[in-house]
Amino acid sequence: MTVRECYEQMGADFENVLGRLESERMVQRFALKFLDDTSFQALEEALNQKDVEQAFRAAHTLKGVCLNLGFDNLFTVSSDLTEKLRAKELEESEELFRKVKEQYAITIAALRELQASL
Amino acid sequence: MREKILIVDDIELNREILAVALGDVYPVLEAGDGEQAIELLKEHSDEVAVVLLDLIMPKVDGYEVLKYMKQTEILDRIPVLVISAESRTDAERACLKMGVSDFIRKPFDSVTVRSRVKNVVELFMYKNQLEDKVRIQTENLKRQNKLLEQQAAKIKEGNEKIIDVLGTVVEYRNLESGEHIKRVKGFTRILAERAAKRYPEYNLTPERINIIVAASALHDIGKITIKDSVLLKPGRLDKDEFEYMKSHTVRGCDILEQIDGAWDNEYAKVSCAICRYHHERYDGKGYPDGLVGEEIPIEAQLVSVADVYDALVSERVYKEAIDKDKAYHMILMGECGVFSPKLMECFRESKEDFENLASKYEREHKE
Repeated sequence: MTVRECYEQMGADFENVLGRLESERMVQRFALKFLDDTSFQALEEALNQKDVEQAFRAAHTLKGVCLNLGFDNLFTVSSDLTEKLRAKELEESEELFRKVKEQYAITIAALRELQASL
Repeated sequence: MREKILIVDDIELNREILAVALGDVYPVLEAGDGEQAIELLKEHSDEVAVVLLDLIMPKVDGYEVLKYMKQTEILDRIPVLVISAESRTDAERACLKMGVSDFIRKPFDSVTVRSRVKNVVELFMYKNQLEDKVRIQTENLKRQNKLLEQQAAKIKEGNEKIIDVLGTVVEYRNLESGEHIKRVKGFTRILAERAAKRYPEYNLTPERINIIVAASALHDIGKITIKDSVLLKPGRLDKDEFEYMKSHTVRGCDILEQIDGAWDNEYAKVSCAICRYHHERYDGKGYPDGLVGEEIPIEAQLVSVADVYDALVSERVYKEAIDKDKAYHMILMGECGVFSPKLMECFRESKEDFENLASKYEREHKE
């Protein structure tokens, strides 16, 4: 599996991220680092504890990372969630978090597949 | 040397992407939150060429880092580029208002970031160099200015010393008593200050008045060259003797010209004018040059009124002191020389001051 195929699998625009990060090698290197990123876990935990402040920050971080890596789908939902949390609307956040979780799973699965094929 | 880049972002991945995006041009310092960033700035502020700053971070956020940099004026020397996933314009506005150089949104384009960083680093390098140059030159100027002031003070001291020494010479020869010189200085000052207020056209600044007053002590310096047989002659002088006596004006000037170069031009000029012209008359009938009206330098005009007044109101070996009120009228009536109407106006207005000072000198003399 190539990094391009990995992006296609998660439904993200590879050309865009390639343009910004300049080489496939770089995109792959950084994309795989997302496997070690803990902002999703931090978000989940903060939401469980109803800590809206921490949840906002974690969502914001996740959104930022996705933005940089060009994980478009995960970015879109984490961005929506970030705004909800910024407005401290904890209840409406739960529904959005489910979407984030779904996209996170898809993204991670694609990355794992890429990693395994190397 | 400023060449390091400080990357501040709570996500290691983001810092790494940025570092790679910037290529290997600059050594990189990394901070995972605002607190670390401030610590690094404290330690390395002279080495950092630019700060790439994330806004939303745990503990101390990007805004706090900006505040710190602004307060410590580091922001004047190190440019900050905010790199944020923050999409709202008010965040961008707030940052720019706080003095950041640029606001870059995530996701950023590597090439763009590289160019912007390069631009802003070069711009600040140039700006810092210019400011350093200006600061160094300002300091140099200040130092030189201080030196000039010190020299000016020294010169002024030298000028006053010369006048003092010469004044003492006149006194030692017992030509005039030291008191006469002191009184002429006092009367000259009263009249000069009145004239300064009433007639700005004379341009009598406080500085110039000080010089005139100091120089008035030398008005009769030329008398040290006059032979004792004439100078100390008890009776009336004959015509030749009187002509010879009159030469003390020009002789005084000659003496002063010999010290030319050793003292300030302004002091020399004023002293010389006073020596030479303090016997001129406003109607042109004075000596040595028969100058008319305002041809007579104001400094000499002032001293001649003071000299005549003092001669009248003080006691001399050959005469009693004349009553102050009578002396006042004699001068105004033109019985003791012809003076400028303007100075007579000043003299009229200063009557009381003249008389008070004369009385004060009398009391001091008795003691």
